Amino acid sequence: MTQTAVDLAPPLPLPGIRRRLTSAELAGLAGLGALALLPLPFGSFGFFVGQFALIYAILGLSVVVVTGYAGLVSLMTYSFAGIGAMVTGIAMASWGWPFWLALPLAALATVPVSIIVGVTAVRLKGLYLAIATLTLADALGETFFKWSRATGGQSGWLVSRPKPFVSDASYYILLLVVAMALVWMVTGLRSSRIGRAMLAVRSNEREAQALGINVYKTKLIAFLISGMLGGIGGGFLALLLKQVTRSAFQSPLVEATSILLVTVVVVGGIDRALGAFLGAVALVVQQQVFQGARFFFAYFGIYSAGLLIVFLLYRPGGLMQVARLQWRLIRARPRVGITVAVSIIAINVGVAWLFVRLG
Amino acid sequence: MIAAHPVIEVTAFGLASGATFGLLALGLVLIYRTTGAMNFSHWAIGLLAVIAYLFLANEGVPVMLAMLLALAISPIAGIAAYRFVFKKVPRANHVVTILITIGVAQLFASLAAMVLGFKTFTRLPPWLPQGRVSFAGARLNTTDVVTIAVAVGVAVGFLAWFRFTRTGRALRAVAQNREAAMLAGIDDVRSATIAWGIGSALAALALLLVLPHVAGKQGGLITTFDITPFGTLLIPAFGAALVGGLVNLPMALAGGFAFGLVRELLVLAPKPWSDMRAVVAALLILVLLVLRTERFFVTAQEREALEA
Amino acid sequence: MTEPLLEVQDLSVRFGGITALDHVSLNVAPGEIVGLLGPNGAGKTTLFNVISGFQKPNAGRVVLSGTDILHLLPYERVAAGLGRTFQHVKLFANLTVRENLLVAQHRHLSSGSLSAMLRLPAWRRDEELALARAERMLDMIDLRAWEASYPPGLSYGTTRFLELASVLSLEPLVLLLDEPASGIQQKEVEALGPLLRRIRDETGCAIMLIEHDMGLLLGLSERIYALDFGRVIAEGPPDEITQHPQVLSSYLGRTRRAHASA
Repeated sequence: MTQTAVDLAPPLPLPGIRRRLTSAELAGLAGLGALALLPLPFGSFGFFVGQFALIYAILGLSVVVVTGYAGLVSLMTYSFAGIGAMVTGIAMASWGWPFWLALPLAALATVPVSIIVGVTAVRLKGLYLAIATLTLADALGETFFKWSRATGGQSGWLVSRPKPFVSDASYYILLLVVAMALVWMVTGLRSSRIGRAMLAVRSNEREAQALGINVYKTKLIAFLISGMLGGIGGGFLALLLKQVTRSAFQSPLVEATSILLVTVVVVGGIDRALGAFLGAVALVVQQQVFQGARFFFAYFGIYSAGLLIVFLLYRPGGLMQVARLQWRLIRARPRVGITVAVSIIAINVGVAWLFVRLG
Repeated sequence: MIAAHPVIEVTAFGLASGATFGLLALGLVLIYRTTGAMNFSHWAIGLLAVIAYLFLANEGVPVMLAMLLALAISPIAGIAAYRFVFKKVPRANHVVTILITIGVAQLFASLAAMVLGFKTFTRLPPWLPQGRVSFAGARLNTTDVVTIAVAVGVAVGFLAWFRFTRTGRALRAVAQNREAAMLAGIDDVRSATIAWGIGSALAALALLLVLPHVAGKQGGLITTFDITPFGTLLIPAFGAALVGGLVNLPMALAGGFAFGLVRELLVLAPKPWSDMRAVVAALLILVLLVLRTERFFVTAQEREALEA
Repeated sequence: MTEPLLEVQDLSVRFGGITALDHVSLNVAPGEIVGLLGPNGAGKTTLFNVISGFQKPNAGRVVLSGTDILHLLPYERVAAGLGRTFQHVKLFANLTVRENLLVAQHRHLSSGSLSAMLRLPAWRRDEELALARAERMLDMIDLRAWEASYPPGLSYGTTRFLELASVLSLEPLVLLLDEPASGIQQKEVEALGPLLRRIRDETGCAIMLIEHDMGLLLGLSERIYALDFGRVIAEGPPDEITQHPQVLSSYLGRTRRAHASA
């Protein structure tokens, strides 16, 4: 005879979850609107940079879900993007599918790989999972990304954008809308049963189990979502480059020397979708600024690695955390706070100017 | 008779590359057990020694001297990384630890790329003796034989040091149970520094041993793009470390040789498999992971102590 | 005679040459408050670990509501009606008190990731339910003042109350409390007894309690099992246990002997 426990108290009136937008949020939205218009004066190069940044933002969301929310270190983001790009290439160039059909297929193509990870490594410590993802990425680089039928051989796949989005400006707007929709979705995920389960698993797996959370299923779902986001990013990347070749995706070490992690961490901390979006925009733009400097690849690599380390050590909440702490300091001790803020900005501008001069 | 030779030659080749994996694995396990950080930047720290060697050798420094000087670079980098970065990460925070090692990998790899960008190295003077030697009817590269000998010698020396000297035993104590070791008066910062120093030196030696195999293919011209093959060495190194359950050093060394052998012997396998080195490595590693090899070498209680 | 709600039959746990539990058998009736007494290392926490699924026994059975739950994973046992707290409370350090409680509502919700990402009505309903339940819990356990704080910023006693609130959100049939009074101030210990009794009275859940604070343990428990060296050495109501010679010598007696030789 089972007996469910009686309710603890009479039910309270349910609070609404719709809120009016605060003034800070309105300002933020206006800022994003301004940001969106940024590429306009720079012509087709500006749009290319914008599109590239937005794709990085989508890949960043993949990291936010799997590492930021669920606390799983996955070194497979680029592999998922590669799968997405290749499948888009095959579907469009080889089978003649339209983009709006190829893209969901690209996302679904990541699922088998996510499941392999889920089955083997999800019950293990985070470290083992990281090793497993690195190993799988390498194995994929050797098989899928060398398989001519998948990669279209040396020359890859030639894809063209669907009719309404052929121009740079229109493709940029499409990406902008998609990226922001995905940011909205990933943010929504955080305030939900499964999102909180992921955060719980990341924070204290044992306690999560003690509260009835199926930690293995939670981790698997995190991987599935993250993989699909990566695949979607890859699909859009294929359209951006118009020619998909395998060389970009063959080495998993691209992950280890890439700016992807930095973009996710530096603005909002690794668990904020909007932060990943803004970070991608900020860093890709900076990367293009550094283009002028000699051997920019190396400089930028050192600079972004330094950023990653410094932020992870001291401000894991990213620039948003810096801003929050700074704001608190200004309110508590105004003179000190403002001095610090101004000097930080001055130093940053100075360093940037120095880099451009040296380049 | 002709069939025997390829097997022996390939075996020698496999053991030689396995030597590299074994040395890398030793360093990885040492650092992991003593400081709790799995060093995804291990390869990049070794890479700095390779760059240093290239630089010195191209400047006319005699190869053996260049090699020894280069070997010193990695411990400096590794210890600096520990002191300035890893020491500050709380042990329990596994996610940040791994992400930071990736950041450090990026830092060192970019440094290496920067140096390569400034100077184009045209020569790759070998520091190991060249030539061929006869063994059991096969002709082996002297390089391979010496590589195996050096690796085994250094590994055995290290294992002996670890087991019999006071400092070595102190490190073992920290590796087994940090809290207890600290209570017994062992300085865990000093132990960690030594572990990072030795581990980095082993990584440097490993990469210098494998250098001719990885870099010599572009006709002597080393470019920035040659960095990534060094990174892929990390995977068989992990596999080797996993053979020892990430705790047993001699098994890690043996695992290295095993992985090297399997990799090279694969060449003799039927067609689709002979090109699938990474896949076979992945399969082996996934099997090792699923087996949870750690539990063969560490009891549940010791594992609890390690997590603390 | 009601059938026991939770039954442990002949449980044994051995590792590394140590016998942590040696053929332990005990039971808890629905709505009963049972205490576990014993010196450190007697096997009490190990017993909780086995019942809640965090440790596997070498032999024996664990039966809840008539079903054998030994093959179930910890989170599956929650669904079966089990709830437990831990000796060293940790909770979710990077979530606020409120978010901690929202996480605890997990088993009462059902919407999936798709409805979450698309903010469908199912998600909306779940969120409203979770919020309502969490709010109720905040008031019931008197944590309202700290709802936006993070566990590391709270006093140890408050985190214990938060842990209690979380595990109560599960609406368990039987609640395993591992030293709920350890590390908290006397004032809060005194509040704990009546609170736990009220919880039992209002929800009907059974409670099994490991506790070193004798006042709390003896005052709250209806029945006590005394453990030592992994074995049940005595069982009975509090006043019997405090007179039991073996209990006195193994646990309480050590203090007396220490005083005698001073």
